[in-house]
Amino acid sequence: MSRASIASRLRWSIGLLAVAVLVPTGWLAARQTLAEVNALCDARLAQAAFGLDTMISRTGLGHLASGSGQPLPDVPVAGHLGETPTHEVEVGYQVVDADGEVLLVTGNMRSLGVALAGGPAFRDVHIDRRRWRLYTYRDTAQGITVTAGERYDSRRDVLRALWMEHAVPLLLGIPLLVLALRWSVRRALAPLVTLADLLRHRSTACREVVVLHGAPQEIQPIVDALNGQFQRMGHALERERRFSADVAHELRTPLASTMINLDSAILGSAFDGGVSLPEAYASLQSLAHRTEQLLLLARLEDTTDMPRERVDLCAVARAVVDVLRATHHADGASLELKLPILPVWLVGYGPALDALMRNLVENALRHAPRRGHVSLEVRYAGPAAVIEVSDDGPGIPAERREAVFERFHREATSLGDGFGLGLSIVQRAARLHAASVELLDAASVHGLLVRVTIPF
Amino acid sequence: MNIIVVEDDVRLGTAIKRALEHLAYTVTWLRTGAEGLEALRNQSVDLVLLDLGLPEKDGIEVITEARRLKVKTPILVMTARDSVESRVQGLDAGADDYMTKPFHLDELAARIRSLARRAQGLADNQLESGALSLNLSSLEVIYRNQRVELTRREFALLRLLMERQGKIVRRESIEGSVYGMESDVSPNALEVLVHALRRKLSPEAIHTVRGFGYMVPRDIT
Repeated sequence: MSRASIASRLRWSIGLLAVAVLVPTGWLAARQTLAEVNALCDARLAQAAFGLDTMISRTGLGHLASGSGQPLPDVPVAGHLGETPTHEVEVGYQVVDADGEVLLVTGNMRSLGVALAGGPAFRDVHIDRRRWRLYTYRDTAQGITVTAGERYDSRRDVLRALWMEHAVPLLLGIPLLVLALRWSVRRALAPLVTLADLLRHRSTACREVVVLHGAPQEIQPIVDALNGQFQRMGHALERERRFSADVAHELRTPLASTMINLDSAILGSAFDGGVSLPEAYASLQSLAHRTEQLLLLARLEDTTDMPRERVDLCAVARAVVDVLRATHHADGASLELKLPILPVWLVGYGPALDALMRNLVENALRHAPRRGHVSLEVRYAGPAAVIEVSDDGPGIPAERREAVFERFHREATSLGDGFGLGLSIVQRAARLHAASVELLDAASVHGLLVRVTIPF
Repeated sequence: MNIIVVEDDVRLGTAIKRALEHLAYTVTWLRTGAEGLEALRNQSVDLVLLDLGLPEKDGIEVITEARRLKVKTPILVMTARDSVESRVQGLDAGADDYMTKPFHLDELAARIRSLARRAQGLADNQLESGALSLNLSSLEVIYRNQRVELTRREFALLRLLMERQGKIVRRESIEGSVYGMESDVSPNALEVLVHALRRKLSPEAIHTVRGFGYMVPRDIT
């Protein structure tokens, strides 16, 4: 039963439930019928005895005495009971006087002997190996005892007839019921089969939603959930596709300039004035930088390998500034570091925070003018730590600040060196710390101020 | 031949501009799609080298809009998008050729020559007029069976006149093609250039049509 089908489960459970309900109720109904038939027959038996007694009292005892000792002819029961006509004599009488003399007896009850009054009014006895039901009535006024008897066979025939009448249609109905059950179960499960077919024949590249016409209430949530899942997968695929296209652009462009420059360099210095080789080198550096950034971004997407630890933001800032000062051109912008006296501790991802600050400062240095000014500040601000990086470059107009956060976005004024990639890294690292990133106007006339607020 | 390069990457843009200038083309390098479209609409441009992933206005939009404005200038797309769909999309929008980054300078030059040939209805890379022949691929100039060394500008001027041999080429058209968008061109720079060319070839190789421009006759002797 590892993979029972809903259909067979339904068929079995409905079938078993039907049996569990029908058998006891049928049994109860049968018992009830039996009791009623017995009560009815007993009443008839008693009434027959009284009737006989009344007749005897009208005609007088004397008339009975004349035929004393001679059994009466059996009284055949007329009509049909059940399937077969009943010819057997199933009813009988006996009249006994006060002295125990049998005054009147039917042939079938002759071997009964003298029925004595005083015992129970109704009795079950065996006469000629047949079970009889007897009713004995003592008429003290006339001094006679009247006994009416009925063979049990007769009652059985009545019962059988009743059973046939009620049970046969039911029994005939059962196979029909089974067929109807199968049909309705199959019909109810048809949408599931359709859904399975739809899903089976769906290609992996298919982006369309599954439409199941007339889906029942129970299946619609499944269809909706599936469609939601398909849509999310579609979006994820689309994002991946765009990401790889953007990655291709980020990497192929510096590769292209490397190749063009090297081709020019090969043609000789008369051709290119000797500038191609340094340019090719710079292009390769740009390629290396972008590769690093892409890898960093990919690493930040998955934090399972990154430990969450206590990090001092001041120490991270100092390390970032040290590295950037060492590699930065002498005639570039100056880099200022503003730190509080006490360390700023928080629990977070050290490498992510390092990447965040490094990319913010690198962007600022790239956009600051020659001999411009870039500052990195770390401070407490209420229940949060704040990192601020400002430059005195051209800034970003307020209406385009949203757009620069898009991955791989390139501002027309930037030098095209993975501007958006840097901000994507910043944004991702900020999200890891539930931090907010704001682009603001720098204190100087123009220039950009990026504020990252990390709640503790 | 005036070529516009629309590429937002500084290093690639400068590298292409420098390399093509050494191949005797006049190159203007622009960094946004909007600037590229502007140049296409307002100037006589012989060929556009267009990157697709541009800030503000995407390369495909530039092509679509340029074609909508009935600009017939050949457009050579250079892009990092190498999927078949984006190729089809680019060509369907109206690009004439498609190059995937990275590419070699030789390939770039060959495709530019091929597009220029197609635009001028030429079968090969050879321009000939009597005793004068120009090889557009090797940049070799032969006159009366002698090799002639020309500067880039001289070659560019001669190529332009040879392409339209037997017809008068207007001054403005020559300046646009040879000097491109350069603003610091002295008023008599063209005269000086023509004079230098005549000295290397022969005085009768280039005719002056006063008030209009210059012309190379059909059968130079």
